[in-house]
Order: sequence, then C-alpha cells, then structure tokens
Amino acid sequence: MGVGFGCHTGFLIIRGFEKAFFPSSGLRESLAFLAWTVCLCFLIAQARYRIKALGLFLLPLVATLMLSTVFIKSSPIPDILRSSWFYLHTTSIFLAYAMFFVTFIAGILYLLQERELKSKKPKTFYYQLPSLKTIDDLFLKFLIAGFTFMTFGLIAGIIWAEKEWVQGWQKDPKVMSAMVTWAIYLLLIYLRASAGWRGRRAVLISLLGFASVVFTFLGVSFFGGQHSF
Amino acid sequence: MDLVLVGLNHKTAPIEVRERVAFTETAIPDALRCLQDDFGFQEAMIVSTCNRVEVFGKGSDNGTAVEQIKEFLARHHQIGRSLLDDHLYSYMKDDLVRHVFRVASSLDSMVPGEAQILGQLKTAFATACDEGVTGTELCRLLPHAFFVAKRVRNETKIASSAVSISSVAVELARKIFGDLDGQKVLLIGAGKMSELAAQSLLKSGASKLEVTNRTLSKAAIVADKFNGSVVPFEQMETALIKSDIVIVSTGAKEYVLNPDVMDRVIRKRKYDPLFVIDISVPRNVNPEVNEIENVFLYDIDDLQSVVESNLEERAKEAASAEEIIVQEVGNFSNILSQRNLGPLVKSLRTRLETICLEELGRDKGGLTDADYEKVQRIMLRAAHRIAHPLMMEIKKAQSNPSQQYHKVEMIREAFDLDDSE
Repeated sequence: MGVGFGCHTGFLIIRGFEKAFFPSSGLRESLAFLAWTVCLCFLIAQARYRIKALGLFLLPLVATLMLSTVFIKSSPIPDILRSSWFYLHTTSIFLAYAMFFVTFIAGILYLLQERELKSKKPKTFYYQLPSLKTIDDLFLKFLIAGFTFMTFGLIAGIIWAEKEWVQGWQKDPKVMSAMVTWAIYLLLIYLRASAGWRGRRAVLISLLGFASVVFTFLGVSFFGGQHSF
Repeated sequence: MDLVLVGLNHKTAPIEVRERVAFTETAIPDALRCLQDDFGFQEAMIVSTCNRVEVFGKGSDNGTAVEQIKEFLARHHQIGRSLLDDHLYSYMKDDLVRHVFRVASSLDSMVPGEAQILGQLKTAFATACDEGVTGTELCRLLPHAFFVAKRVRNETKIASSAVSISSVAVELARKIFGDLDGQKVLLIGAGKMSELAAQSLLKSGASKLEVTNRTLSKAAIVADKFNGSVVPFEQMETALIKSDIVIVSTGAKEYVLNPDVMDRVIRKRKYDPLFVIDISVPRNVNPEVNEIENVFLYDIDDLQSVVESNLEERAKEAASAEEIIVQEVGNFSNILSQRNLGPLVKSLRTRLETICLEELGRDKGGLTDADYEKVQRIMLRAAHRIAHPLMMEIKKAQSNPSQQYHKVEMIREAFDLDDSE
C-alpha cells in the first residue's frame, strides 16, 4: 500500500512536469489525483487508528478511480487555469472530498459496530472493528479536517474568481453545489456540537453530504459552467 | 521415547470419579517416590487439577508401565480397578506428545484457551524435578510443550476473548469506550454480583465509583470497599447523566429504570454512549431501554450469549491451534532423532576437512613436502574454526527446540550432510 502510494506520488510529479502543470485539471487527472488524496487519507487514518476494515471500503474506491482513468482521454489545459490559486483551490477541495469519504466510511463502521452491540450476538464485525469511541473519534477528526480544507478551498476559489475570472461565478452550477455541500457539513458539525448527534443521525447527514460531494464532483458537469470537464 | 501417560479428565470421568482420583498437592511428592521405589519407574510426573489427573511414567517397557500406573492409582486411592479402567485413557509415543502439547496449549480444557492449565503443568513438572524423578524424556518433552503453548497463545486468538460474565462486561465496555481509563461506574443496588462486576471494571481502569441504593447504609458499605461515594436514591437521574457504565442489581420486583428516564438522560448526555448492565433477576431495567440510541443494555442472559459467541470464536481459533500442534509434534520427533549432536559435529568437520584437502590436492604444484604439510595443517585448523561457531549457534538454541531444529536443518542442507546413525 505504502509502495503503491509512493509510486503514485512519483507519477503525479512526473505528470506535472511533463505538462508543466499541476495534475488536477480535466476528468482523468482529477480522478487520479482524487485517488491519491484518498490513499493519503487512508494511510493517515491507518497509522493513527489501525482499523483493518477501513481498507475494505477505501481501497476499492481507489482501484475504481484509477481504473476509470485508463478509459478517459486526458484533456488539454486551458490557459486560464495556469494560476497558483488553482493549485490551492483544487488541492484543498480534493483533500476535503477524500476526508469526507473517510468520514462517511467511519459512519458506516460506527453503525455496524453499534448494531453488533445492540444485537447482543457478536459476529465478525464485533471482533474485527474497534470500539465505538475510536470510530467516533475518526469520524469527528476527519469531518473537521475535511470541513476546514473545504472552507479554505472555497475561499481560495472565490478570491481567484474575483481576481481573474468572468463575471457571475456565483451562478456557476458547481459553485452552488459545493456551497450546498459545505452547508450540509456545517449543519452536521453544528448538530454534533450542540445536540451531540452521532451514530445513525450523523451518518445519515454525512451520507447526504457525501452524495452532494459526488454530485458536485461528477454530476454538475452536465449543467455546463466554468467547471465542467 | 519410552514414556507413557495414564489419566482421566472431564471428558472421560464424572466429577465423582475425578475427585476420588485427584491428588492433593502435599501428597504428590510421596506418590512420586512410591512410583520410583515401589514400581521401579525411572521417570515420573503427576498432574492433578480439578478437571484432570494424569500420571507420566518411564518404565522398562510401555505395556507393563501402563498396567503399573493403573495399579498404582487403584492402590493409592483404594478404588476398584474395574471402576478405574472405565475412565482411564493411556498414551504413548507420538500420541503422548500430541496429547501433552494439546493439554499445555489448553486445547483439551473445558474452556479452551484458559490460562490456568499451563501453570498447573509447570508446577507439576517443577515438583517432579524437585523430587529427582525426572530424566531426559520428561526434561525434553515438558519444555517443548511449554514452548508450544506459548506459540499457540501468540499465534492464535484462542485466549483473546472473554469467557466469563464479569470479563465479558469489561470486554463490552472496551468495545464501547475504547479503554476504560477514567470511565465512571454507577452501581444501582448493592448486591454481591454487582460488586464483582464493579471490581473487574475498576481493575481494568475505570476510575470513579458511585453507589446508590434505597437503603443508603448498605450503599455506604459497598462505596467504602471501593473508595467510592454514595448518591441518594432520589438523585439517581443526575448520577446517570454523569456516569458511563451503570450496573443495576436491586432486589426490586419491578423496573427501576424505564425508557422515559433513560431518554431524558441520553439527551442530556448529548448521546454520549451509556452502557447499562442489568444483573438482577427479575430484571430491573425495562428491556425497551436498549432501543434508545447509544444506550446499550445487557441483562444476564445477554452477557451469557456473548460468552457463548466468544466460546464459538475460540473453537474456530482452536482449529488453527491444532495445526500448530501437528507441526510441533513433527518437529519434536525430528529433534528426538537427532538429540545427540555428536554425529552432526563429526560429519560437519569431516565435510569441511574434505573440502580443504580436495582444494589443496587440486593445486599443490611447487610445494615441498614440508610446505605441503604445513599448509594442510593450517587449512584444517581453519576448517575447525569455521565449524566451531556453527555448532555454538546450535547449542545456543537448546532452550528453543524448534529453533534448534531449524538451525540444524539449515546446516545440514547447506553442507549436504548425512549424519543419520
């Protein structure tokens, strides 16, 4: 896993030099870069929490992402994207998405372990998964980190748009969708802090949030706008 | 291997028989001496626990040794032979080795994976050693059995899950809270059982204990025992909000905790998980409480069902433990066949010497006879010096039979040695 991650990092650097560009534009590169961020998050989570079951969910995603890049042609890079704001914007947002994915998975693991404990007939998950507290900790840490990165990425995007972009970035479908996503996660953090939402309720919201992430990342392209691949 | 074993255990004999055949700790030295002096055994050992009695002996031949041990048991405990014979089993050769390895690894125990048997086996061996009735056979077999037990413990999860009510309570608490450090325990009611559960939780790291009871004086007694504090029965709800683990065991005939109270409590806790253990019969906590989010209610039957699941889990692990046993029985018989390292040393030295002489013979042009002899002497000395650390390496591994076996095999293969006698 670590080796694969190292190779992937190397490849991204080469790709970056080859095009003299940060490899996160276009659908193909976006997917590859996203796979890389998910790997990074997985390695961090693994080093900190040692949850074997995490890989069960994360690695298939990485594999799917990487496999899909094989079938997609890379697209030329528009000049407008050659800006350092672009790097900040995409990197932060991509990291945020990967972290939200970990949050989502942690939520599912929480539900699984909760169900084991409620059922009183422990089976595989009971033995394999860590304690509720640990999973909850993972959920919360990645939620907050993801939210921070997303906030940062959005601000970078807005400044960039104000500085050199065409008018009307507020009406771009991807921007609107991302704002909705951001609001959902804000709501989740608020409910967690004030009313202690965790377990089933929190997972449902993080599911909604993650669906919004997927829509923002892939679905919005169909509506056109500056962000479309 | 001329050792035999005769014994009975919980599977072959009911408790009425086991208790009659059991040896008290103080009787064992005399019994061992009796085996040696009256029956002429060269080696002997007696293992006696509440679930098994096993007598090891090395006599002149295996058949008579088995008979003699049966005779000894009958005479020592004054039991009829016919009653004994129905329950006794006997092992020799590889079967004996396998049996001892399984016993040491706790695969033959009533609760597989329990740790006591290994200690009991060690004590039995130590007693036999003290009495001077052990020899090469027992001294080779038992240390290897202890080593196998260690391997099984390390390489399988046979002993990792909890199989008693109070240890299951601790295990569940760990599955909810991670570690128990700093967790607060609340006892509702002051029964004997709740004390036990509280004790094991506190021993595992839970820090604070509060006790509440309708009769406060009783609560005070328990609180004193564990350095805890007393909470008036009316303030139970406030205490629940601050606690993490609640043990309920009052003598009440009705429910003491109901969903409405617990619902309020969990809201005030911001859905921080709460673990409720109801060990009272009749139950004191309404079972519907378990349906509240992040409240985990276990009654005595639920704990028992976790015990059973864990036992099944242990049974699965036992299967991989059996593989280790098979492997080690093989290793052990290989080690037995090479117990004498002498031939190995000899054939290694011969092999190295041959290599030296061959090489010398191939390229001796220009040497005078005197030179030739001198070079030959030097080369042979070098050969012996090369052999020496290799043999030391094998001797060093003496305490770890399987490691020693692997090292011997490596040297054998590397130098293509044949030292079979």
